[in-house]
Amino acid sequence: MCNDPDVAPEIPDNQLLVSRRDAMIASVAVVAASHFAASARAQTGPRQAALPVSVDQALIIRTSINGQTLEIRIDARTSLLDLLRERLALTGAKKGCDHGQCGACTVHIDGRRVASCLTLAGKVDGREVLTIEGLAGGDTLHPMQQAFIDHDALQCGYCTPGQIMAAVACVAEGNATSRERIREYMSGNICRCGAYVGIVAAIEDAAAKMGRG
Amino acid sequence: MTTTPFKDRPRIDAFDKVRGATAYAADIPVPGMLYAMLVPSVVAKGRIATLQVEDAINVPGVVRILTPDDFPPPPEPVRFPNADAPPTLHRDIAFRGQPIALVVAETLEAATEGAERVAATFETQPFAATKRSALAVREEARPTAFGDAGAALAQATMTVDVEYESPAQHHNPIELISTTAVWADGRLTIYEGTQFASGIKEVVARILRIDPGIVDVKSPSVGGAFGQKGWVQQQTAIIARAAMLLGRPVKLVTPRGQIFHLAKFRPNSTHHIKLGADAAGKMTGVHYVADQQQSRRGTFPPDYHAGPTRLYGIRNYYGGGLDYRIDTQPPGHMRAPHEHPACFAFECAVDELAYSLGADPVDFRIANDTRVDPQNGRPLSSRHLNECLSRGAQRFGWSKRTPKPGSMRAADGSLVGWGVASGIYPALVTATVATLRISADGTTRFTTTHHEFGQGIKTAIGAVLLDGLEIDAAKLDIVLGDTTAAPQQITAGSWGTFSVVPTAALAVERMRAAISELLAGRQVSGAIHQQLAAIRRPFLTVEVSLLGPGQDAAALERLRRGQYAVAGPTFPDFTAMSYIAHFVEVQVESTTRRIRMPRVVSVADCGRVVSPRTAVSQVRGGVVWAFGAALREVTEVDPRFGGFLNNDLADYVVPVNADIGEIDVDFIGEPDPVANSVGVKGLGEVAMVGASAAIVNAIFHATGKRLRELPVRIEHLL
Ligand code: FES
Ligand code: FES
Repeated sequence: MCNDPDVAPEIPDNQLLVSRRDAMIASVAVVAASHFAASARAQTGPRQAALPVSVDQALIIRTSINGQTLEIRIDARTSLLDLLRERLALTGAKKGCDHGQCGACTVHIDGRRVASCLTLAGKVDGREVLTIEGLAGGDTLHPMQQAFIDHDALQCGYCTPGQIMAAVACVAEGNATSRERIREYMSGNICRCGAYVGIVAAIEDAAAKMGRG
Repeated sequence: MTTTPFKDRPRIDAFDKVRGATAYAADIPVPGMLYAMLVPSVVAKGRIATLQVEDAINVPGVVRILTPDDFPPPPEPVRFPNADAPPTLHRDIAFRGQPIALVVAETLEAATEGAERVAATFETQPFAATKRSALAVREEARPTAFGDAGAALAQATMTVDVEYESPAQHHNPIELISTTAVWADGRLTIYEGTQFASGIKEVVARILRIDPGIVDVKSPSVGGAFGQKGWVQQQTAIIARAAMLLGRPVKLVTPRGQIFHLAKFRPNSTHHIKLGADAAGKMTGVHYVADQQQSRRGTFPPDYHAGPTRLYGIRNYYGGGLDYRIDTQPPGHMRAPHEHPACFAFECAVDELAYSLGADPVDFRIANDTRVDPQNGRPLSSRHLNECLSRGAQRFGWSKRTPKPGSMRAADGSLVGWGVASGIYPALVTATVATLRISADGTTRFTTTHHEFGQGIKTAIGAVLLDGLEIDAAKLDIVLGDTTAAPQQITAGSWGTFSVVPTAALAVERMRAAISELLAGRQVSGAIHQQLAAIRRPFLTVEVSLLGPGQDAAALERLRRGQYAVAGPTFPDFTAMSYIAHFVEVQVESTTRRIRMPRVVSVADCGRVVSPRTAVSQVRGGVVWAFGAALREVTEVDPRFGGFLNNDLADYVVPVNADIGEIDVDFIGEPDPVANSVGVKGLGEVAMVGASAAIVNAIFHATGKRLRELPVRIEHLL
C-alpha cells in the first residue's frame, strides 16, 4: 500500500482567501454576514442545555438519569441517545448506526438494556435511566468495567460503553452461564475492532464476581 | 539492543474507555454548537439543474443552507488526493451520494428534517456502475516482474491456473465519521476522528483558500479507522466553511447510510494466478494478474504484488494490474488493502498446488522459504515465517490432521476442516518528531507524530517510557493526532507504532542523559519528578526526531509540511517484512451447511513485542476481520442507479460475538536486528493477512469444495 500516498498535495499558496493576517477581520465579517446573526449568541454550557428552538411538538418529561431527577423540555422527535449526548453532555453512550443495529448506544431503562437510539426520549418519562457514566460507584469501577480492562476487551473503545451496559444486563438476566450463551446474548453489540474473545472472557470473569455466573 | 521482553501492562487508555470518559471527536463539548446534515445526490452522474431550499429554510430551527454557490471554486489544477469530486459542494456530480447541499440548524432534529426537504433536479448522464458496464474504461498498470515467469511455468512439473474474487467491502468502524469545526479568534479548529490530521489541515486550507497556518486539527481518540479515516473526508471542508460563514461551531455526524457512499472502500478485485512447482516441490514461477473496480479519477493502485512476491523464494514472477474505471466514489485503503485480497487468492492457490502435489500444506510452505527478497536480492532484516508455521502447527495439533477432504468429523456429525495460510506485510516507517517533558509536579507529557485508533500505539509508547524512566504512570499524558502538539503524518500501513516506539526509546535515552547531566553526580533518590524538585527545576524537556533507515532531512521537512514521509519495505541495505501463520478449524453442519469457526491459532513475527496485551488484541481483531471478509462482508452495487444497496449494518453483515470462537495468539518475539533500535516491526495489518485463505482452505478440507469467490455462503456448499 506504500505506492500511492493519498496525502496532502502541494499547496499553491498564492490564492489564499484568508491569511493569518486578515483572519481576525474575516472572523468578524462572516458573523455580520450571517443572516442569522441573532443565533450567534453564545449558549450556556452543554449540561442540560435549553431547547434552542421552539417546536410545535415540545414535551416536558420527568425522568431519573443516573440517579438524578431531571425535568426537561424536549423536541418530541428526539431520541434518548440524542437527548443524553447533545443536551445532557452524557456522551458515554455512542452513536454507531442510529438504527438499532450496532448496540453502541446501549443504556438501561428500569434495569433493562435498550438501544437508546431507537427509544424516543419521551418514553423515559417517569422511568430510570442508567448510562455508563452512572455505572461505577465514584472512583471504584464496576466489576464489569474492571474485567474489560483485565481482559483487554476493547481496542478503540467506541463500542465499549454499550458492550459494558449490555454485559451487565446479560449477567443480570442470567444469560452469562456459559461462553456459548454469552456469545449469543452479546451478539447485538458489534465490536468492529473484533475484541470478542476478550469480551466473553471479561463477562465470564465479572459474572463470577457479581455472583450471577 | 536489549532483548528482554516487555512486561504485560493494561491498555493505557482503558480506564477512561470503560467509563465512557474518553472523548471522541463528536463528544467534544463546544458551546453554541450548530448541527449539520448533508443532502446527498440521488443520481450517479450529471449536474445539478435546480436546487430548491425554500421548504428547508422554513423548518423551525434551520439556520442556513449551504449550496455550491457558497464555496470558492477549487484551486486549479484540481489534484486532490484520490478524489473524483473535490471535497466541497459543487454542481457536477461524479458519484451517487455526493453531497449537494448542507443544512445547518439549531438542533439535530431540525437539521435532519431540513435536509429531507431540500429538493433537487439533475441533468443526468449515462454512467458505469460495475466493472462489466459498457462505459467502464480498462486501464493497465505497470507490472511487477522479475526472472522469467513464462519459461518457469512452461518447465514446471505441476501448475495450477485459478481465478479468485474478493468483493467490494466497507470499513464500517463503529464511530461514524464526524467533523466539528470552530472558527474563533482568527483560527479554524477542526475536531475529527482521523488517521490524517496533517492532511486535513493542508487540504481544508487549500480548498477554502485560507492559510494552513491558521488551521488546527485535533484527532482525539478515534473510534476505529481501518484505513477509512486515512483520507480527507468529503465533508470536512464543507463543515469548516459552514462554521466560518456562520461564526458558530458546526458539527456533523454523518449517517452510516451516507458514509457508504462518501468514504473510501475496498474495491472488488479478481486475481488470476498461474503458479508452478518443480518435481522437488519448489515453487518456481508465478503469473498473477489482478484487476479491480476503480473510480474515474481514483489513484488507489491495482498493485497487489508487494506481499506475494516475498512470501516464498519464487524467482520468476510476473505481476500485472488492471483498473476498470467506473462512476463511483474512489476506492481506497482498507485494512491490509492489497495484501489481504492478494494473500487470500495466493495462499489458496498455494494450497491448491500443495494438494495437487500430494504435499502437506504446512511442509510445502516451509520448504519454500527464502532468506532474501526475491524482488531484488536484498537480505531480509529478519524472517521467522517458518517458525510461525511450525510453532502454529504444534499449538494447533496439526499432526492429527488427516489430509483427505471430508475425512474429519465432529461429535455432532459436522464436517471438520483444518486449514493453514501464511501472511505477510511490508514494514513501512515514517519520520517522526517527539517532545518529552517531565515536570517536578509529577506530570509527564509526551507529544508526537501519529494517531491512536485502538491499535494500542499509546500503550506501546507508554511501555517504552515507563520501562526506561522512573515517572508517575498515573500522570503520564501521551498526546497524538494533534497538529498543535507535533507535526502529524498519516498513520496507516502498520507504520505508526513501528515508527514511534523507536522515537520514544530515543527520547528516553536523551532524557536519562539530560537528568544525569543535571544531577552532576549528586545522589537524589526518588522518581525523576522528585529529583527535579530537589534541584529546583520545574521541568525538563527533550525534543527528538527520528528518520527511517535511508531517510534524509528531506523526509523530516516533508513531515513538517504535513506531507507523506514514509519509507520501506525496501531500505538501502535490506527489505523488512512482518509475517504470520494462521491455522483455522471450521465446522460445517452436515444438513444446513452452516459454517462455524470454533478455533484459530495465529503466530506472528512482528519483531519484538512492546505491548503484549494490546498486540494479542490486534491479532485477534485481524482474524475477526478475516472471518468477516471470508464469510460475511460484501457491499452490493446497485447496477440501476449506481451506489451501494446494502448501506447499513443490518444488510452489510459484519462478524458478531456468536461468530467468533477461540483465537489463540502467539508471537515469535525475536527482535529485528536492523530495522530500528528497539527491534520492532508492524503488526496491525499482517494480523489479518492470510487468515481468510486459511478459512477457505479449511472449508476445502472439510467439504472438498474449492470456493474461489468471497464471501463464502451457505448456498455455495449446498
Ligand atoms: S446507535 Fe443505537 S444501535 Fe447503533
Ligand atoms: S473496541 Fe472498537 S468497536 Fe469495539
